[in-house]
Amino acid sequence: MSQDDAKIFLIPNELCRRAGLGATWKPLNQFAVFPHERRTVRQKDIPSNFASTAQSSVFLVQHSIILYHPILRKLVNESSGTFLTVQSTVSSKSSEFKGEILKLSRQYRSIIRACLENLQDEIGKNNITNSERDELRDYITIFYSIECIWHLCEILFIDVIPGNIVLPYLLDWVRFHFPKHERNAALLISGDVTSLELHEDYWPTVFGNFLQGRIKIVRTLLRQNSAFGSSVFQLVDEVLKTMPTYNVINSISINEFNLQWKHWTTDIQLKIDAKQFITNHNLNLLMRLIVGEEEAWAEIQSHCETWYEFLAGWLFYTEPSVKSFELGQFAKLSIRKMRIKDHMKHLDRVLLAAMEFDLFEVIKEIQHMTENGWFVCHLADILHHSGSLSVLEKEVENFTSENLRESFLLDYGTILMGHSSLWEVGLNYLDYCQNIGLQAVELLLPRIPFSTETKAHKLIREARNRELHSVAQSICKIQGTRSLKRGRVGNALTWALKSQDGPFTSYLADLVLKKYIENGELNSTDLLDNLGSCMLASDRLIFLGKYNEFHKLYQAGEYKECGHLLISLLASKIVPKYFWSVLLSEAIPLLESEELVFSANDTYTIQHCLEEKEAIPQLADKISILRLAAARNLSRALMFEAQLAQ
Amino acid sequence: MHSDSASINMSHNLHGTFVSEKINKIRWRPGGIQSLNLFVTGSIDNEKNTIKLWDFCENDEENDIYPFTISSYMYDGDVADIQFINQDYFACASSSGSVHLMNIAVQSSGDMLLNNYMEWDKIHYFNNGEASCCTALAIYENDLVSVGEDGRINVLTAQSKNVIRSIDDADSCSLGCVLFLKHNEILTSNLRGQMKIWDLRSQTNTPTKTFMLSGDQVTPTCLIFHPTQRHLVIAGDELGAITTWDLRQNTFPVNVLNAHEGSINEIHFHPDHPDQLFSCSSAGEIWHWSTKNKHQSFMGLEDSDVNVWLAPDNVKNKLEVFTLMPTLGKSINTLDLNKNKVICGCANEAIYLINGINL
Repeated sequence: MSQDDAKIFLIPNELCRRAGLGATWKPLNQFAVFPHERRTVRQKDIPSNFASTAQSSVFLVQHSIILYHPILRKLVNESSGTFLTVQSTVSSKSSEFKGEILKLSRQYRSIIRACLENLQDEIGKNNITNSERDELRDYITIFYSIECIWHLCEILFIDVIPGNIVLPYLLDWVRFHFPKHERNAALLISGDVTSLELHEDYWPTVFGNFLQGRIKIVRTLLRQNSAFGSSVFQLVDEVLKTMPTYNVINSISINEFNLQWKHWTTDIQLKIDAKQFITNHNLNLLMRLIVGEEEAWAEIQSHCETWYEFLAGWLFYTEPSVKSFELGQFAKLSIRKMRIKDHMKHLDRVLLAAMEFDLFEVIKEIQHMTENGWFVCHLADILHHSGSLSVLEKEVENFTSENLRESFLLDYGTILMGHSSLWEVGLNYLDYCQNIGLQAVELLLPRIPFSTETKAHKLIREARNRELHSVAQSICKIQGTRSLKRGRVGNALTWALKSQDGPFTSYLADLVLKKYIENGELNSTDLLDNLGSCMLASDRLIFLGKYNEFHKLYQAGEYKECGHLLISLLASKIVPKYFWSVLLSEAIPLLESEELVFSANDTYTIQHCLEEKEAIPQLADKISILRLAAARNLSRALMFEAQLAQ
Repeated sequence: MHSDSASINMSHNLHGTFVSEKINKIRWRPGGIQSLNLFVTGSIDNEKNTIKLWDFCENDEENDIYPFTISSYMYDGDVADIQFINQDYFACASSSGSVHLMNIAVQSSGDMLLNNYMEWDKIHYFNNGEASCCTALAIYENDLVSVGEDGRINVLTAQSKNVIRSIDDADSCSLGCVLFLKHNEILTSNLRGQMKIWDLRSQTNTPTKTFMLSGDQVTPTCLIFHPTQRHLVIAGDELGAITTWDLRQNTFPVNVLNAHEGSINEIHFHPDHPDQLFSCSSAGEIWHWSTKNKHQSFMGLEDSDVNVWLAPDNVKNKLEVFTLMPTLGKSINTLDLNKNKVICGCANEAIYLINGINL
């Protein structure tokens, strides 16, 4: 982008003006602008003079994306369906492949036309503002051009034209985009018949249809003329009736057709020379046009809105068997004749480039259309699959059709990923970027904001479907951390377990245990009661789970079981350092219980732990009680066991 | 039982409409003949979400069926759930933690209008003051129960603005689904697949029963009961399995079916044909489950009283699955049925009507 193309935005803020601006990206298509004083490495790292506790503003600058407009969102969604069908058609490698692709190209165009219709309907509504109406008009202009270009590209690059005789297709295209003449003819014919030729639209409509090759309509219109009985009208009607036609169905060869055409025009030329049409200027002009008389065509130019309308008519009468590769030179000629070479519009340039088969130029031009890459992405994709783009690989070094297509898909997909709802559609496009699509998803997916767990689940699923486990894990971590901040340790733990995040699980288990030391209550017992195999995620969680089980057994009065569990915990080497004093204290009531809980060996284990942990400060005031209790229990146990032995 | 084995039934008509917003919940308006074509939708993921009342305008001549919006209501937050109480009132759950009672009001001009009849503002919240998403609602006559990510259960009634009862720490995990088993008994499910039965008359804040969906921390995504046998409860989960319980017997599942690819977003029994089930998934599948040999059983050759879903094994062999729509590659978020019509909301911001389902 050159300097001239740069857009300038004014940030209306006093502090920004004095201190200067800083900016940072905010995913995905925004950046935040804020007051910021620039420092160099040599300057001291001290607070800026502008820093204060007063409120200051942060400005969000956002790329406005027209595809986010509700009407265009329909286009985005509908075309994404067609896009997916294109991709599956490609991978199915059907024998009807060319035909399928052509059908899908037409589907895209019908989606554009539906969109144009919706836009048109919206403009007609009363409840919109003028600026909204202008905006809609802009969209209509853009998408009208897109359809026009797409249609021509479809003819030249996607459709298979028998014998490369492109004219019938070109006429279809022109008829389609200049429906005015046919409409006017219908109005005229269905209207007041008696004085048709007095209507101001009469001759323009005759010429308009004539240029579009609609000879039947021309003849009907002429027949409605009150002078139709005259010999000149009869003669013209006869001439038009005998016009040779070429199409694949009537199975005449192109040479044969050319010969017929030559005979026909020579005959007309003779009649013109014999001044047989001279009595009626308009009819004479029609005949002179047929034989390709330069002055006649110069005269008719003013009837044509565009050079390509002119081109189609001109070719129809002078070069009916024109081949598609010859179009470019005739297009340039038409432009010269119409004298618009110096004020060609964007659309004109693209159409000319297409007729010259300069696909590079076409793609370069349509990239600059302001519909956020919808067009270039879908067109490049379908051109790539139809093989038209790969032809260029031979001509240009280091060019691959696939890479070009991918770069457009990537841009378009990324734009959609920036939308709160369309991100799901965006993913579809990134998925079909073989080279770096996955990496793009890996970067973009974690940047999609989410506030509910349902959406978190959705994002995780998309990540897992693409085997982006680190992304899934980071989303779980975010949700876990959030739960923690909200005081929902149990939920945080579940998220940690969902992502099998060992360290985070341990951290949370520690939290629960420390909380217990503080207030004597175990948190999230409903969860701990049903841990099952998840417990194995971390040692600390195993300990927490087992300790919770110990509590439950104790409350249920199952002291024997309780004692076993305590001993196995003491011996397990998974007791957290800070928890030793609590765990050993739990032994006191069991050591002192009426029923003998611990065997002599169990008691040795407790005593062993006591010796090992005596340095722990929290134990200082309990250690003597514990030793005493252990000693008393040992004596009881030894006696009991001795009795048993006997 | 994945999509390739499910045959596509092309006999019904499919009508799609792009609506420029992602529909998270879609519900037919229940009731009389005059409301046959009316339905409501709730959107998510929009800057401004909406609840809309629609009419599927049927034009027999042109075979052109399309919905048009009758009334639209701007909604604060994602629409997490919609449940009809009767044909004029329905309740909505918002991700902002509020529950709304909406009314379809008929104005003097005869036009219908959506308005907010009652609001239970921010009844789901975290202790740090943040709002919590209200994830699901259950209705029993005029009683409502809402559950949320805050693990709270709120008992409401359409007659009062006050919350009747709140169980604050009902669950240490987020609650995702809720179901009335009896007028005084509800079933909730949480993020870890823990299911709890609560007696609403009991004064203690503890569940009467707790059981697990499976041992693997799988999150249930939807819960329903059988239309005629309420003790038969079915859950769909995030891995695409359908689990059935007979709560009369015990809390071990009667059977577990691996059904969909991806997460099951909604399941519905047909209200008039309890042997027919409909389900949709995040992989874009929408299926119609029907009992095999139903004609045989109709003629009395088989014991027609036996509910297929309660068969402990070989359930798959007793069921037929039809794909209602070719998959679009995008999640089908919600579905609802009425007579022989199915409507669904898809992640491509479109709603689809499938007409003439073979029941």
